[in-house]
Amino acid sequence: MTATLTRPHTVAGHAPRPSVAARRTFVGVMRGEWIKLLSLRSTWWVLGSTAGVMALIAIGVAASLDGFMANPLTASGMGELNGAALVSTGFQIGMVTIAVLGALVITGEYATGMVRSTFAAVPTRVPVLAAKAIALVVLTVGVTVVGIALSYLVTISKLAEYDLVPALDSAETWRVFAGTAYCLVAASLFSLGLGALLRSTAATVTASLTVLLLLPSILGFINIHWVQTVVRYLPLPASQGFLPAGDPNQNLGSGLTATTGLLVIAAYAIVPLVCAAIVVRRRDA
Amino acid sequence: MIEAHSLTKRYGDKTAVDDITFTIPPGSVTGFLGPNGAGKSTTMRMIMGLDRPTHGSVTVNGKPYAKHRSPLSEVGALLDAKAVHPGRSARSHLRTMAATHGISTRRVDEVIDMTGLSTVATKRVGAFSLGMGQRLGIASAMLGDPRTLILDEPVNGLDPEGVLWVRRLVRQLADEGRTVFLSSHLMSEMSQTADQLLVIGRGKILTAGPVQEVIDSVSGTAVRVRSPQAAELERLVARPGVTVSSPEAGTIDLRGTTAEAVGEAAAAHGIVLHELSQQRASLEEAYMSLTQDSVEYRSDVTPHPVKEENS
Repeated sequence: MTATLTRPHTVAGHAPRPSVAARRTFVGVMRGEWIKLLSLRSTWWVLGSTAGVMALIAIGVAASLDGFMANPLTASGMGELNGAALVSTGFQIGMVTIAVLGALVITGEYATGMVRSTFAAVPTRVPVLAAKAIALVVLTVGVTVVGIALSYLVTISKLAEYDLVPALDSAETWRVFAGTAYCLVAASLFSLGLGALLRSTAATVTASLTVLLLLPSILGFINIHWVQTVVRYLPLPASQGFLPAGDPNQNLGSGLTATTGLLVIAAYAIVPLVCAAIVVRRRDA
Repeated sequence: MIEAHSLTKRYGDKTAVDDITFTIPPGSVTGFLGPNGAGKSTTMRMIMGLDRPTHGSVTVNGKPYAKHRSPLSEVGALLDAKAVHPGRSARSHLRTMAATHGISTRRVDEVIDMTGLSTVATKRVGAFSLGMGQRLGIASAMLGDPRTLILDEPVNGLDPEGVLWVRRLVRQLADEGRTVFLSSHLMSEMSQTADQLLVIGRGKILTAGPVQEVIDSVSGTAVRVRSPQAAELERLVARPGVTVSSPEAGTIDLRGTTAEAVGEAAAAHGIVLHELSQQRASLEEAYMSLTQDSVEYRSDVTPHPVKEENS
């Protein structure tokens, strides 16, 4: 047996000081969450498909350029197209997979019972949520970089035909790429916050995708003033405040300024997380 | 040391734990005994800060669990063998827990060896048997070399060798001066492992104390007499407070009297005795009589007619 079991007996009634060096720190909690994420296959699947989906959509949009040019209705809009936005346009579908990751990070723990081990190790609980959020931000930014780089490489020859290759020395290009990463990070944190509140994977993914993707197009058909106001503040339309259109068919323009758009998106990321931090501390695990 | 004061937990209008107060001392093994649904697991979850008490409080080593700077060094818990993500390997699971406290990977490998999981440590937990899951739960409880151990049904699903191992482990840990608190609904297991018992039923403490005291308090000690003149002896010792039962002809069990008194009465009247002995009730019998009114999920005991099979 090990050292623990062969240690000389102490007098009963006086508990020994633990021989294993241990102290709970936030850095430790961060490392724990990091190991958790990387030791699950589902994480790698989700990250891989996010980058893959972004590249596929970019290929599709680039391949559609010929058609847009041939059609006199859309050809006139070609001048307003932004190459960087075209390359990163797949982020809208990338939000789907990244939102699933954001949800699984917490709902996977509730579904399996792992959350009891987690909260036994970190009984104050809120650091766990913070560590998960930070790990998600790092992973999401990483996968966005990979996804955009991949999209750039697979579309470069087609874009060159229309002189739409994003200039890497242009501030505008980097602003668009950063805005894309910003939206994806917000989507993952929005899902994490919802997941911590709802605890069920199915409920969280449904709610998250409804708000992120479905509502703008469904409510877009309802021509009532206040509904249209609501639509402008949904995440995807709000993102148009700071992201130029990457597709001439798209007209989600919300009329929000860049700053308002950024703030609205930030609210989607932060509000559910703050609510979750309050609720998670008091709730039974 | 675990101290609970008026600990209460209600879920809606159902009271799972009803105003219980107890102290679990260090340096010994305390058994937490009760039928299914008695409130054992809920009590343990409240100790670990996982469930919030509706009323009352509980401290471990002097503080509420969540207030400890290094919780895993204070308490190691096996609460639920399923508190693990099935997609992760046993070693990764232990590493995620160890990382939160800066516990070394060497210690992770140590507890893996100690619980006999070395050969399966890199396998996904989803493929584990119940017994292997229990071993992993015990490994995570031991990670921080804690002063207090809380084990919910630790021998569930273990093979006989595993049961023996747990029994030795908890004895060793208690002898080192640690507090060991383990629950079970198996009476026989408790009589082999525990020094004292806390018996719970329907959320209330039914009795508590050293194992033998608990048994005696419930059943009292019976005196068994075997004699060809049993009926005559029965008349001689009959007195208010003495109850007599006869398991078979020529044998009587007397309660509320002592072997000395029976022996002297027999000698004074020249009654031949073939046997005069103290009968100690088993823990099992004590448990049944303690909990018979507080079993939450009672099985249907009506005998169903069984058709004789033609052979």
